[in-house]
Amino acid sequence: MIFGLALDGLLRKKGRNLLTMSGVLIGVFALTLIVALGQGLSHAVTDTVASSDNLRQIGLTGGMGIELSNDPADVRIEGEMDDDRRERLLRAAINRRQIRQWSGRRVNEIDDAAIEKLSKLPHVESITPVIIERYQLQLDTQGKKYETPASLSIGVDVGRKRYEERLIAGRYFSGPQADEVILHEYLLYKWGLLTSNDYESVLGRKVKLSSIISEQTDPMQNAPEQMRAMMADMSDEEKKAMGVLLPRLMQQFGQFSGERQSVEREFTLVGVIREQIPGDVFNVIEDGNAVQTDVFLPQETARQLFLGSVVNRELGYPRALVLVDDAENAPAVEQALRDQGYTAFSVASVLEQVETMLTVITVIIAFLTGIALIVSTLGIVNTMITSVLERTREIGIFKAVGATNFQVMAVFLVESALIGFVGGLVGLGLAALATIPGDLIAKSIIADRAAVPYAGGVFVIPLWLALTGPALGTVTAVIAAILPARRASSIDPVKALRHD
Amino acid sequence: MSTPLVIGTRVTREYHLGGELVHALRGIDFEVAEGEFVALLGRSGSGKSTLLNLLGGLDRPTRGSIQVAGRELASMNAAELSLYRRTTIGFIFQSFNLVTSQRAWENVALPLVFQGVGRAERKRRALELLEQVGLGKRADHRPTQLSGGEQQRVAIARSLINKPRMLLCDEPTGNLDSNTSAQIMGLLRDAHTKGASLVMVTHDPALAASHAQRTLRMADGAFVDELPVPAVAGGGA
Ligand SMILES: Nc1ncnc2c1ncn2[C@@H]1O[C@H](COP(=O)(O)OP(=O)(O)OP(=O)(O)O)[C@@H](O)[C@H]1O
Ligand SMILES: [Mg+2]
Repeated sequence: MIFGLALDGLLRKKGRNLLTMSGVLIGVFALTLIVALGQGLSHAVTDTVASSDNLRQIGLTGGMGIELSNDPADVRIEGEMDDDRRERLLRAAINRRQIRQWSGRRVNEIDDAAIEKLSKLPHVESITPVIIERYQLQLDTQGKKYETPASLSIGVDVGRKRYEERLIAGRYFSGPQADEVILHEYLLYKWGLLTSNDYESVLGRKVKLSSIISEQTDPMQNAPEQMRAMMADMSDEEKKAMGVLLPRLMQQFGQFSGERQSVEREFTLVGVIREQIPGDVFNVIEDGNAVQTDVFLPQETARQLFLGSVVNRELGYPRALVLVDDAENAPAVEQALRDQGYTAFSVASVLEQVETMLTVITVIIAFLTGIALIVSTLGIVNTMITSVLERTREIGIFKAVGATNFQVMAVFLVESALIGFVGGLVGLGLAALATIPGDLIAKSIIADRAAVPYAGGVFVIPLWLALTGPALGTVTAVIAAILPARRASSIDPVKALRHD
Repeated sequence: MSTPLVIGTRVTREYHLGGELVHALRGIDFEVAEGEFVALLGRSGSGKSTLLNLLGGLDRPTRGSIQVAGRELASMNAAELSLYRRTTIGFIFQSFNLVTSQRAWENVALPLVFQGVGRAERKRRALELLEQVGLGKRADHRPTQLSGGEQQRVAIARSLINKPRMLLCDEPTGNLDSNTSAQIMGLLRDAHTKGASLVMVTHDPALAASHAQRTLRMADGAFVDELPVPAVAGGGA
């Protein structure tokens, strides 16, 4: 009933109210779009990662053996100086420390013994080395000879039938130790092999993998001096770590330069694998390494080939995949591995960090966008003040026929709420429409850059966000109308009735 | 002897205009009996509208007391006054005071909006009243599509829709020609016959004489010569 009177006021000045509405509209539009993007990105991350066993996985790499503290309280800057300088130097010291940690050599390597030891940690279900290595590759057919100087290979868990869904020609591995190889369609394409006839001509042929021999001269020639210099400004804690590390390093490099032994083996080409597409199982830790892989070997075969190199035997596996019994225990296991002197990150914790970051960014941008909405309230205040002035006589009539002050106020609050609600609704609608081209554009950008294909939307408007748009518009508009509406309710009816 | 509907005692209304004190009403005493038709005569600025506004609870006296149906208007708060207007009073103005953007029936039904009556019921009662004032076929017209007399008939219908005990008319025929005036006066008399008390401001002594049971003459914020007490209620004179 009051609603009718409010609507009447609204329709009387369509142009002005549409203009006012557009302020709310733009505000809600921008806000919805920004938050939708944040939601979309967060979903993209979650959907990609939370599928399969990702949340139970922890990536494991070697560690310094000692975890160096990044706590500023542990770093001391000696001497007389002003506070600004002490602050600067402190920051410099911490920065250097962190960089050294990242570039630091591993003391605790991941070899079979380590895997066996760490597998006994509580909640650890299995630890599988991730075996990636570059090999020179040769494929001979009667007529042609194909080769690449350095192709990336990975060991495949045959038991879990990893990548079987991506097979487009030939067959899958016959077992975890088979002397078989599957190649990526891209490698074959580079060789000019595209059709099924082309594939037939190479399937069943022998592929020779040989380790790449470094042509560099001994990189450790000058190393001891450099290391001594490096150690000069190290803390005792770090020196201790280096003390363990240095003799082993020297030993390894000595062997490396001395032996230069090559590994070489032949495999049967049994299948062709296609590039990853949306919907494929994606394991962050395994497949994060596998995006450039051209050569797929059964895990055990790959392991034997890998350990054929002395250097590899000495340095251990580059990383390992730890599978935890339950996603809930991932953080605890992650910590336990770190306590053992390894570098470990669980997919869950990384995911959490990414999500937190996305949320923070979204909130900040949404806040800035919210300013548009605040500005639009000024427009509403102005419109409502004008509306009250124009309807002064009417307000007198309302009061003469018995309207309470509150009812008079309600007429204007509802009028403004309508402006806000419709503005919010249209803003939401336009934002929803804008996500269609927005998704296309964003996807074309992502498609060119992302290693991992993603099928979902980049902009996602969940129900709560859809409700928020009109609600926010309405609330903003009502707040903006409070003062004008109170002014309306306090108008003296006697004067108002004389007004024209 | 029944109690009068309205008892005004030393009713004073003063305005501050700049530094000046304007005495619109100078402590007047008056009564209006239940069902009485009173005309208020007087020159421009004599205080007629001021008195009417006080009677209708649109304004409060500076001093003095106005009792309507046993209730003191001077001590009512804003909410009580609006309830009083909504239930007891019907206003009719010289300039009609219709809401121009609303249809005739919507204007008639306006008081019901603030009583929370549903739309269908509002329309039904509004059409009934429009029929009574002879505008049954004009229900969907807007005020701008109606003549002055028709607009005033709509206003009368509106004033009657809450079945008020007292109709307050401020020069209801002031903007109308004599034929139309007669029509309007006929409608007001009908309402009076049905039991409503009427207080009507007018400039026209003949009109007052031919319709009102009693005429009060005002000058400079006070009554002159006539007795401000109803003959019927007063029991003589
Ligand atoms: N809001 C106001 N402020 C100051 N003075 C006022 C106000 N309202 C009325 N007055 C004064 O009070 C006096 C009575 O005014 P009122 O409107 O009651 O006269 P009236 O008898 O109705 O005149 P008219 O026949 O012209 O309508 C006048 O002198 C007027 O100027
Ligand atoms: Mg007057």
